[in-house]
This record gives sequence, C-alpha cells and structure tokens, in this order.
Amino acid sequence: MNALHEQFIVEARELIQQATDDLIVVEREGAEFDRIDRVFRAFHTLKGSAGVVDMPPMNLTLHAAEDLLAAIHAGKLDASPAVIDQALACLDQVSRWVDDFEARGSLPPRAGDDARAMAERLRELLSANAPDQRTKPGRASSVLGSGDALPEWVSGLVESQRARIFRLTQEAPAELHAVSYEPHAGCFFNGDDPVQLMRQIPNLLAFRIEAREAWPPLAELDPYACNLRLQGVSAGTRAEISNIFRLLPDQVRIIDVPLAALRLEKGRRTRDGDTAALIRTVIEEQQEVLRFLNQSEEDFVGRIGAAARAASNALRHGLLADLAEQIELASTAALASRDAAPLLAAIDRALASLAGGLPAGEAEGALVSESAGSPAAEAERPAGRSLRVDESKIDALVNLAGELIVQKNAFAHLAKRVEDEVPGHELARAVRREQASIERLAGEMHASILQLRMVPLSHVFRSFPRLVRDMSQRLDKTVALVMRGETTEADKTIVDRLFEPLLHLVRNALDHGIESPGQRRAAGKPESATVTMQASRAGDRFVVEVIDDGRGIDPEIVRRKARERRLLATDELAALSDEQALDLIFSAGFSTAAEVSDISGRGVGMDVVRATVEQIGGRVSLSSRVGAGTTVRLDLPMNIAMSRIMVVGAGGQVFGIPMDAVTETVRLTPDRISRIKNNDGFVLRDRIVPICSLAELMSLPASPASGSDARLLVVTEMSGKIAALEVDAIRDRLEVVLKPMQGLLSNARGYSGTTLLGDGGVLLVLDLKELLP
Amino acid sequence: MSVRRQDDGSVVLDGNCPVEEAEALLQMLQATPAAPLDWTQCSHLHTAVLQVVLAARPALIGPCGDRWIEQWVASNAL
Repeated sequence: MNALHEQFIVEARELIQQATDDLIVVEREGAEFDRIDRVFRAFHTLKGSAGVVDMPPMNLTLHAAEDLLAAIHAGKLDASPAVIDQALACLDQVSRWVDDFEARGSLPPRAGDDARAMAERLRELLSANAPDQRTKPGRASSVLGSGDALPEWVSGLVESQRARIFRLTQEAPAELHAVSYEPHAGCFFNGDDPVQLMRQIPNLLAFRIEAREAWPPLAELDPYACNLRLQGVSAGTRAEISNIFRLLPDQVRIIDVPLAALRLEKGRRTRDGDTAALIRTVIEEQQEVLRFLNQSEEDFVGRIGAAARAASNALRHGLLADLAEQIELASTAALASRDAAPLLAAIDRALASLAGGLPAGEAEGALVSESAGSPAAEAERPAGRSLRVDESKIDALVNLAGELIVQKNAFAHLAKRVEDEVPGHELARAVRREQASIERLAGEMHASILQLRMVPLSHVFRSFPRLVRDMSQRLDKTVALVMRGETTEADKTIVDRLFEPLLHLVRNALDHGIESPGQRRAAGKPESATVTMQASRAGDRFVVEVIDDGRGIDPEIVRRKARERRLLATDELAALSDEQALDLIFSAGFSTAAEVSDISGRGVGMDVVRATVEQIGGRVSLSSRVGAGTTVRLDLPMNIAMSRIMVVGAGGQVFGIPMDAVTETVRLTPDRISRIKNNDGFVLRDRIVPICSLAELMSLPASPASGSDARLLVVTEMSGKIAALEVDAIRDRLEVVLKPMQGLLSNARGYSGTTLLGDGGVLLVLDLKELLP
Repeated sequence: MSVRRQDDGSVVLDGNCPVEEAEALLQMLQATPAAPLDWTQCSHLHTAVLQVVLAARPALIGPCGDRWIEQWVASNAL
C-alpha cells in the first residue's frame, strides 16, 4: 500500500461520510441547490480518486450515481426517498469496496457484477423518473491523452523510464542530464556513427531514437542521409557527456534535468512507476472540468473549489506541496475574480512543472508576476486549513511531553533538596525561580500538545443521522434526531471509544424507548418522536446525554425483571429506591426488551455500556419518567493522558493507587478493627469495610507492626464495592503520565501501568479492580 | 556478407553490420517489404543500418543480437 493509496482510503471515507450526511439533510430538508451540489461534488471527487487507484467498478457505479444527482441538480428528478435510498446504498457499496481495498489492496471478484447491478438500479431510477436524462451540466469525465500537455522531449524521456531513473537516483543521487543529438544529414560520410556515440554516454537511463522528418516511401529512402534524432537521459556528469560529443557541439544540446521532475517519487519506494501519470490524469481531469465550466454562479464556485481541491490533493500525494499551494492560491484568486483563468493557468504550470519542463520555483514566480495586477493576488490562503498528521506522530509528541513533565517533577525534587541542603537562600531561591518557570512552560506545552489530540464529538455524532434514519424506517417509527454541542472536544481515544456505547443507547431509545406512532397518538403525544444527543463541557470533564421522549422506564417493571432474573433477593429489591432500581438496568444479564429484536437485541446489554464507559474513566447514570422519556447521561474525562495517583508504601516497596478509586484515608486504632470471618474489617459510617493488606496482596513480607500501633488504611470504592487497603505509609499525590505495562510485564495482572518518579525510580500503579478480591 | 537472404525469403543480419550494409539491406527490403528480418545473430549495428530498419519497419525476428540496440531501441521504438 503506497502513500497514494493510503491517502485515497482516508479521503474516500471522508467523502462518503460527507455525502451521506448531506443526503440525509436533503431528505429531511429538501433538495436545495447548494446541498445537492455538495453531494454531487463529493461523488465527483470520489470518482476522481477512484480513477487514481484504478478501480473501474467504483468508477462505473459512481458515474451512474453522478448522473442521477445531476438530474436532481438540474431539477429534472425529485429527490424522492427511493432515490436517496439508492444513493445511500451506492455509498454503502463504495464504502465496502474501500474496506476491501484497504484489506486486500484490490476489489473482490464480484465487484464488477455488483457495480453493474448498482449502476443499473441507479439508471432505472433515472429513466423511470425523467425521460430526459442527458443532463450532465458542464462536466466531462473523459481523460485527456496525457501527452497533450507535455511539451518537452525531456519530460517524455524521463517519463518513459521513470521507475528506473527513480531507483537509480534513490540509490546514488546524481545530477541528471538530457542529451539531444541531431546528426547532420551527411554525417555517415564523415565516418560518424551517431548510435555509437550515444552508446558511450555513461549511466544512460533513458534513450529514444526517432525520425527528424517523416520517413519517405521506402523506394525513395536515401540510406546514407541521416534523418535521425537521438535523445537520452544520463546520470553522468556534464563534462563526461560533453567530452563524448566534443567534435560536434553544433549538433548536440545538453540540458540539466531539474530534480523537480523526479521529486514525485522521492521518499517513496514505490512499485509503480506511473504515480506521476496518475497524478497528471487527475489534474488533467480538473482542467477539463474547468474548461467546460458552467457560468451559473453557484455552480462556478463549487466547481472551482472541487477542481482546485482535487488537483492540489493529487499534487500533495506526489509530495509536491509547493505546487499544491500554488493551485490553492490560484483557486482563491479565481474565486475572488470569478474567473477560472488563474486556476487554469496554475494547473498548466503545475503540469509543465510535473513534466520537468519548469522548476517549481519558476512557476511560482510566474504566478506572482501574472496575478500581481489583480486584487486577488493579495488574497490570503483559505483559512481553517488543517494538516493531516499520522496519529502515531502525535502520540510520540504526547509521550515526549509526558516525559518532560516527569523531568519537571524531578527538577522540583532537586530544587527542594537545594533548599534543604545548600546554606544561604540566594542560590535556592534562584533555582526555585527557574524551576517555577520551567514548570509553567512544561505544563503549557503539555497542555497544548494534548490539545492536538482533541477532536470534536461530531466525529462520532456524525454517523447517527444515517443510523437513526435507517432504524426508524425499519421500526416504522417517526423519529427526529437532534444533536447539540457536537463541537465539544475531547481526546481522540475517548471520542473513538464512545461510538459503541452511544450506538447502543440510541438503538435502545429507538427500539424500546420510543412508542409506535399509534401508541404515541393514544398517549396524546406528537407522532414524531425526538431523540436528542447532546454534549457539553463541565470543567475538565464533559457530559454526553442521550434523551428520548418515549415511554420511559417503569421502576416496577425493572424490579419484576430483576426478580425474575434473580439479580437480587425480593426484600433487597423492595428496599431499593426507584432511582436505584433503574440503575439495575446496567447489571449484567438484564434486558427489559420483551423480545429480542434485530435492532438492539444483540446480546449486548447496558452492562456493556457501563463497562466501556468506565474503562475510559467515565460514569453512566440514567433517569426516566414513565410516559415522558428517558435520559442516559455519560460523564466523561476530556483526556486520559494524565492520571492522579497516590503513592503508598507497603512491604518495603512503593506503589501508586489511582486517585479516582480512593475515597478517603483513615488511621485506625486496633480496637476499632474487628475480625469478621477470616477477614479484618471495620465499620465506617454504618458500612462494613473489609481490610486487605496491600503487602499480602502483593505477596510481600508484612511489616512488623506492633499490636498497639494505629493502622493506616486507604479506603477505595470501585463499582460499588468498598474495601480498605492497609499500607505502611502514604507518600505523595502526583499527577503522572501512566504508561501501559510493556514487554514481559504486559500480561502481569493487577497493574494498570507504570510511571517514572521524580527521583528516577519506576512506580508501579495498581489496578485495584483486578487486585481486590 | 553480414546481410543475406535465407531460403525462406527472410532477411538476416549477421555479425558486425557496418555502414556499407545499409544499402544492401534497403535493397532487399525494397524488393520484399513483407519479408521478416532476423537480427538475432547481429552483434553490432551501425546507425545507418538501424535507420533503414526504423524506416522500413520490417517484421522483426528478435531479440536483437546487439544488446544495446535490444535494450534501448527494440523495446521502445519498434
């Protein structure tokens, strides 16, 4: 999988998502020109990218879909639910192909048949609804012969042996020279053998021999009149080459080949030497799009944008960021002046530069001088442009910043020692001051690096309109989905992990929460139900709520089910408040659905929701009013990179305990501790708390505690279970970057990770959930 | 003679083919434009001879015995 393919996969998914979103909006709010145009452009760009990776089935399908959208665009076809369904189905199909392509690098064998069937269905809609379907506004999808735009013979030569030239320059970067040799017609009589001279060129990488003038009929051919042009590209030095042709300087041209011509392939050990050709194909297609540009205004803006985006992306694929930037600048100019000419010119220059005829720098100069007269020349780059960075790179940065925090803690440690050990306050104060400013800087840096990992919740929210639409169709319920606060940001890991729990909650709401339209009418509610997903920030945490206005959950039914499933004894159940009874829904093995449905009855209960949310440091709670609806509330941390821990000593070692598990610390005299069965325990505010010795749990020698000493206990509470850990000492409370256990230790149970201490030691942080019996 | 005609009518380039052979080759190809040209045995081709081949474009029996020509000319231009 090369970089171009990877880029394609990422982008195809984005485009599919975008098109899906827009289609749903079209269905809900009508086929406004802008919306259809957005969908159309997404399909168009998708088709363009499919061409780059050479997937004809995808092209075929998307082409048919494009025609359909064009008909809607032109007002010749209504965006009926059937049409939207089919367009969505088409996106699903394409999405599956993208998955296949990612997994296997190719499409499954049946892709061709699927594509034809899908295209046929799309076309059927077109012919059924609109007799006149030849509506392709200002768009031609044919690809120009890629040679058309390549003026220079050098580029042709380089092109012919691109893979080979690239390989060689990778292994041993060298200057490249192109030679064009046009021998005099009478050269044979001078004893010249032009081919022999070409044979002597060192490190020949490409060669071409052709007729200068078209060949005459064979009968009229003069075998001793040389009518040849010989051209080659060599990695030899200019001196070596000049030396070979020193006797005929008038017949030879030697040209330096700018490395820009090869840059396409730099840094990418690609198998296919035709990446450049593919990029050129994409750009040329954009050129074509622009040439046939419809003059209508919205259309204009849309196409300029789409074409510039496709072209600049293609160039970025080829690591030609400078050219891509020029295209983007030109597109801004084109939009400002409402004239495609600047963009077309930039594309032409890019093509020329791609062909090696013009180094990128020169192209830039040309752009500047040409557009200097227009006011758009000063136009800034479009704002809000984002940079796509590999997640692992960000993670590396997060780790480094984490280490820096640790180092900062070590420095604080040192500053304290200086204060204690060095007499005189001057030095200590200076060290303190430096330490404080480093602490501040490191903190700020860490925070802004963590900020890099923050993504808006819209990343997970955006899949829901489609899901809700499909589910409500299947359930014959009318449901409007309202989303709020999707710009709330949180760490990517958390946002990604939220999808499953939210999906489950939304499914539950639709399947169990919301009544059928008939029932709603009978209950005096509007037939159309509302499911709200809303996110909001609360300090260093955020809250996501899934709210439905359905039938609500009756605590009595929950109690009955719990009894049937023997989750709790009858008297215990009776003692529960309604709120506590509702919380039973999150117990393992509980399901209120009378029957298993194909929407939510997949054997995954609310207990999984709770478990998943707790894994990322969150909490779930539920409130419900019978007849009025249910709200499930997820309370989550914004990021999981920093954890607060308490450092304790036990059995001569130190361990970390996550602070979120600790409720309090108590010091108990032996008389307050009683023996309950085999265990020590004590009573804390009317609850019996079992005592476990941490040293014992860790199989360490217990410290020789005298019978009369007070015992130090850390009281912890994890998922409702309370326990007290007996420790020898409580040291610090720290904010640390927790690293997962690695290597041989990765399977060790009972630890949630390690962190470096200020004095350089490694601290093991305990996973109390696993550790406590 | 490095240019000769086989009994089956095909033209053969054999060994070193210097500049003078261009004329002979051209005459043979002019006489029978459809005759195939076997250049597997040719060890070195002069530009003038190559030019005749390029202009006449006979059906070639390859690979060309001159490896440089085979690499750079036969695979691209012909």
